Amino acid sequence: MADQTRVLLDDIDEPGLHTIEVYERLGGYQALRKALTTMEPDEIVAELQASGLRGRGGAGFSMGQKASFMPKGTMDKYLCCNADESEPGTFKDRLLMQKNPHRLIEGIVIAAVAAGANRAFIYIRGEYVLQADILNAAVAEARARGYVGANILGSGHDVDLVVHRGAGAYICGEETALLDSLEGKRGNPRLKPPFPANQGLFRGPTLINNVETLSNVPIVIAKGAEWFKQRGTEKSTGTKVVSVSGNVQRPGNYEIELGIPAREIVYGLAGGPPPGRKVKCWFPGGSSAPVLLEEDLDRPYSFESMAEAGSMLGSGAIIVVDDSVPIVSLALRVARFYRHESCGKCVPCREGTNWTVKMLERIDRGEATPMDIEILDQVQQNIMGNCLCVLGDSMAMPVRSMIAKFKDEFIAHNERAREAADRLAVGAGLSSEPVDAAA
Amino acid sequence: MTPEHGNGRTLRARDPVAADHLAGAPEQAATPVPSVPAGWDRSADLTKPPATIPDPAQVEVPEDLRREIEEHMAKYPDRRSAALPALAAAQRVHGWCSPEAIAQVAAVMRVTPAYLSSVVTFYDMLNSEPVGRHYVYVCTSVSCHLRNAQALADAMKAALEPGDDINVREFECLGACDMAPMCDVDGRYIGPVDPSEAPDVIAAVREGRTPLPGRGLGDDGFHLPWEQES
Amino acid sequence: MPKPEPKLITFEIDGREVQAPEGMMLVDAARLGDVEIPFFCYEPKLGAPVGACRMCLVEIEGMPKLQTSCSTPVKDGMVVSTTSERVKQAQNAVVEFLLVNHPLDCPVCDKGGECPLQDISYGWGAGRSRFIEPKRHFEKPVALSPLIAIDRERCILCYRCVRFSQEIAEDYQLVFLERGDHTFVGTHDGHPYVAPFSGNIVELCPVGALTSQAYRFRARPWDIEDAGSICTLCPSQCNVKYTTRDDTRVLRVLARDNQGVDDGWLCDKGRFGYQAIHAPERVTQPLVRDGGALRPVSWERALSEAARALARAGGRSAAIVGGQATNEEGFLVQHLMREVLGSPHVDSRPSGVLDPAQARALARPDLTAAVPDIEWAGAVLVLDTELVDEMPILDLRVRKGVRRNGVRLVVATSRPSSLDPNARAVVRFTPGAGEAFLAALGAALGDGRGLDELAGRAGASPEAVRAAADALRDAGPVVVVWGERLSGGERGRQAVARLLDLARTLELAGTEGAGLLEVPRGTNARGLREVGCLPNLAPGLADAAAAGKSAGEIAAAVPEEISALLLVHADPLSSHPDRGAWERALDRAGSVIAFADFLTPGLEEHATVVFPSESEAEKDGTMTHPDGRVQRVRQAIARPPEVLPNWQVLAELCERIGKPAGVVSGPAVFERIVASVPFYEGLTLAELGGKGVRWQERDGAGRVPESTLPEGGLEEPPPLEAADLRLGTAPSLWSGPVVEHSPILRFLLADQRVELSVEDGERLGVSTGDEVAVTVGGASVRGVARLRSDVPPGSVFLVEGTQSENATALTNGRPRAVKVARAAREVTPA
Repeated sequence: MADQTRVLLDDIDEPGLHTIEVYERLGGYQALRKALTTMEPDEIVAELQASGLRGRGGAGFSMGQKASFMPKGTMDKYLCCNADESEPGTFKDRLLMQKNPHRLIEGIVIAAVAAGANRAFIYIRGEYVLQADILNAAVAEARARGYVGANILGSGHDVDLVVHRGAGAYICGEETALLDSLEGKRGNPRLKPPFPANQGLFRGPTLINNVETLSNVPIVIAKGAEWFKQRGTEKSTGTKVVSVSGNVQRPGNYEIELGIPAREIVYGLAGGPPPGRKVKCWFPGGSSAPVLLEEDLDRPYSFESMAEAGSMLGSGAIIVVDDSVPIVSLALRVARFYRHESCGKCVPCREGTNWTVKMLERIDRGEATPMDIEILDQVQQNIMGNCLCVLGDSMAMPVRSMIAKFKDEFIAHNERAREAADRLAVGAGLSSEPVDAAA
Repeated sequence: MTPEHGNGRTLRARDPVAADHLAGAPEQAATPVPSVPAGWDRSADLTKPPATIPDPAQVEVPEDLRREIEEHMAKYPDRRSAALPALAAAQRVHGWCSPEAIAQVAAVMRVTPAYLSSVVTFYDMLNSEPVGRHYVYVCTSVSCHLRNAQALADAMKAALEPGDDINVREFECLGACDMAPMCDVDGRYIGPVDPSEAPDVIAAVREGRTPLPGRGLGDDGFHLPWEQES
Repeated sequence: MPKPEPKLITFEIDGREVQAPEGMMLVDAARLGDVEIPFFCYEPKLGAPVGACRMCLVEIEGMPKLQTSCSTPVKDGMVVSTTSERVKQAQNAVVEFLLVNHPLDCPVCDKGGECPLQDISYGWGAGRSRFIEPKRHFEKPVALSPLIAIDRERCILCYRCVRFSQEIAEDYQLVFLERGDHTFVGTHDGHPYVAPFSGNIVELCPVGALTSQAYRFRARPWDIEDAGSICTLCPSQCNVKYTTRDDTRVLRVLARDNQGVDDGWLCDKGRFGYQAIHAPERVTQPLVRDGGALRPVSWERALSEAARALARAGGRSAAIVGGQATNEEGFLVQHLMREVLGSPHVDSRPSGVLDPAQARALARPDLTAAVPDIEWAGAVLVLDTELVDEMPILDLRVRKGVRRNGVRLVVATSRPSSLDPNARAVVRFTPGAGEAFLAALGAALGDGRGLDELAGRAGASPEAVRAAADALRDAGPVVVVWGERLSGGERGRQAVARLLDLARTLELAGTEGAGLLEVPRGTNARGLREVGCLPNLAPGLADAAAAGKSAGEIAAAVPEEISALLLVHADPLSSHPDRGAWERALDRAGSVIAFADFLTPGLEEHATVVFPSESEAEKDGTMTHPDGRVQRVRQAIARPPEVLPNWQVLAELCERIGKPAGVVSGPAVFERIVASVPFYEGLTLAELGGKGVRWQERDGAGRVPESTLPEGGLEEPPPLEAADLRLGTAPSLWSGPVVEHSPILRFLLADQRVELSVEDGERLGVSTGDEVAVTVGGASVRGVARLRSDVPPGSVFLVEGTQSENATALTNGRPRAVKVARAAREVTPA
């Protein structure tokens, strides 16, 4: 097995790491102490910016820059930790929260102080019951030790922290939908602008970051931006926890330095597809990323290289699809996910996901014409760029990429299914055509 | 309908009579008649009064539930933020977000029942219809789909017996693709689960046992089959 | 919050330069350059844009993605295209998506011909659909309420209706349920959407999904015409558009947006009450009592009987003018009384006497707030009125001010108000103790001396009064929205003195955007006051040559001093306090001559002559809004053949009694009014036009008679008398002839209900739903008990104006201590 880099996951197997005693024994909360007692909030932001740490939730935006957008002033400001990890293929935040909740809490408190926020929330998906319980216990411990609450470490900074559980809706991982959901509403994305940094939670300036991003914060502060930048590539600094799943022999979370070849992750770490199988295609960044082919595995796994390949690194979740999987069933499975999770607010997403599923079902049943595959592709184009948030595009991008890369298979699948349906119809006495012996 | 699409084959397959005949045929051949989303056909019951914010004097709320909701409300700058935790609490008491459960939450939170209904029906984990008190969510999303999750879901459903107080449901990505195929039993993730183990899982839930001990995320010594034991 | 002053900028759209106020949304700014951008969900009246429909996407130079023009404020130098290939493709795409699940049943759709989805599909769609999957079909339409049907196949989920319910009416009954393509508009658990403003969603719906149960299938757009007027059912005087057919029937009432009046909304009574116009029970020919019953007669007979009776009574005549009378009718009534019959007895107020000096002070232009001031005030005090029942559209305006501009709201009433949850401070005072409350508030705003004692006299909590004062102090301009009830009782004069004192304390007179706004009982109460329909005031708020009797005094003076009663749009038995006194008066009066459109029980039993009245859609005239806006009531449909204009009947009576009024047309009466009311000087009907004119904003405003605010010398309010339960009464939006006679509204008709605190209910052994009797001085009113946790102990509330068991049986303008007890249920025959 290839070697992993161990930064975020350094002590992950340490028994009892989720308790404050063990975390502190391993040097936990020292970064918080450093940040609060030796740095001004502006210096924290500058350090984060200098580190080049990019958001690990999907968009890959510079974390420090995002924090720098928070307005100064005495209004109520908020920090939200996005722990609604729901993108198919992604399960890294689950691990980080379950095994090392205190590093996340430490990161949240540092980031909140940097952003001038005195109320922080962890929005954790409702299905993560175990992780929510662990976080709640950890927050209570941190509060008891004075790392959360009023006047933290005597610095005069107050950060209150509440763990807020969702209730089952993928869209709440979209940052503005998360805000609506946290305000007790349906999780509908909001129009931007206003951006959350100006008007977010409860109409106050709000900084929203992913679990992995915030878990990196204590590392950046403790070891410094320079140390952090030495890992990864120039534009994708640091390490990344990659979730690998699907048709591989060792699915799991692997920490890597960004920029290593994807093949090393898929084959070296995750063992590649089962014996006798080949990689048919793979999603480099969760199910919303356009699929790449086997030959793309030799590209470096980084934000910029995946973009060059026409896809994206997204949340860093690699789903491997082997050659036993019909592409139509994959496309349909992806489309059904996004149809189910579309919030219904904007027209192209609501109707486009629904229409796409119906067309794919028709292709799957053999009831389509080649022109339908053209229409399917155009519908994806009509969704892309026209929606309120990225959910519609999240279906359109992978589906389009599958049509582009496996068009012949779509046509052949439809033909085969049509022939099978005809045989059945004949068997059921619905056709005068002779009964096929195979039916 | 444009002529170029109107081939006889698709029309025939869409014919409801044909669909009926095909009902017993293998899956890929059956044309689903478009379903009506629950509620679309429903008329308002004009004998009911409008559902305004309930007067606390008219709604009895179990004391523990009231206290829990009020504690949630106190955690946020706006009391409405407590909607999800409050509804989850009421669902624990009532088994689902029944009109009675919603009325109780509405009375404590001082919001209209419709506000809460709107929230309940948006989220997959809140039930707007009565369901079993235990749940088994089988993840059938992309990564699990690639590892034969459908067979697991079917096996779970087949293992149910009449009278089981269990809500078996196919669920979208549960964030445990490494455990695929997997299921979430009352908040405990177990996996990978072989379809042949489904009857045992259901029986355990039925009998109040822990299904597949040691195979749950968070169980002592839990590890995936291909991981070294730590 | 002060109204922002917009600055003009220049931008380019589709190759042309256009000027627009900075910050205006692009979709609106485009229209200034005659560029139309299609949209469905955008509706600025509903608040911030939601960007849901995606129809208004445009291309803006320098922005990589298409932008929703509904949410993009226009900036100087912006270059916009609405016709580029990318934009066209997006527009085609959105139309195609919208029609994916739309049934395209335009030929049988009520909206057909006036449907934005239809228009936009033609204008911006590709004209074809590639969607060949089966569409969803199901039961349609289904009822959303008795007023509204919903067709969920047609719905495009544009958010307008649910935003209205949630963010404008704030009733939050109408919501989206489910998610994604299963989303639908609905209510909680199948409850109907019944709320005072629900009908607005029909007008907001851009497709045929929400239709009026009353209008469905009655007409096609090419069958109908529009006629602008104002609604005369309450003092809101909302601007409306009647949809008429064949010049004889009103089929629908729509809002006619007037920022100064209604903000484009209507209440359901105003929207659906038109059905009463065509009710078979309506009086459409003259009636005369003959052999104990009212019988149809010729106009000649009715006029001669009435003229003879009035002439005989002469100075012993008296007139009661209801709030629905126009300025013209009111002017002619007081002319008939004072100039023709020599009687000073004319009153348009149901209760109490308004002191002439106070009337003039209240009319001061610098002391009167305009409706929009509510929205932009620093603070609004809602005093002794429940807006949603008494002037509904202002309820929405107050909510808007609080929601959008952070207006500090203070609610000071006896009965819990639906505005309480929006208020920064809420004060509950004992019914009838408005004077004491104002005294306490004055103390709290001043040095605080005597506050506890005065609050005690008001039955209010001193802390609540202090909180109210804190909210009003240094808030910026304050608007006091006060109910006529405050001035109506026995101590009305002292209460108004306190109100004027508050105006002085808060410097309302000298502050832009501040002022008083009265919520009167009658639609045109202000106009009637200004044209001389008060016993002590002549037209123009001048002292009357001889002071006449007020309504209550008139009732008491029959038959000794008064023998003939002229009731113009009034039945004192349902609208005036002290029902017993009025029953005696009507019983003993020699003649009771009424102008009416419906025979209320009082008229049915007591009227000797009834002239059929024009309905609001059949009349021409003017009314004056409580904020001084003189507005036109315009005829929309023909009168039934036997109905004459009231002004004409009144003029005819003058003529027959021997002193012609000298008017030959409705407009001529208006000219007479303008000549008699100095501050209406120069007003013409043409100037009033479609939106009316506030007389305070014209030159004539300087000619309102001089008045000064009282300084000091205020009486102490009396202490509260000991009582177990004190009676408060309040009108309901859902009482009165219009609700009774509009079939579609009848389900809302207010029954008598007795609101009690939970504590009092327990003490008296009364539970919600019990039949109880409220008793005082031998009179009793029965109703169904309702225990409310927000009613303060010691108060009990009844509804005024119900068809039976009217609370007026128990009221007499003084605080009333009542007894409440469970009533034996009446046995109904099987």
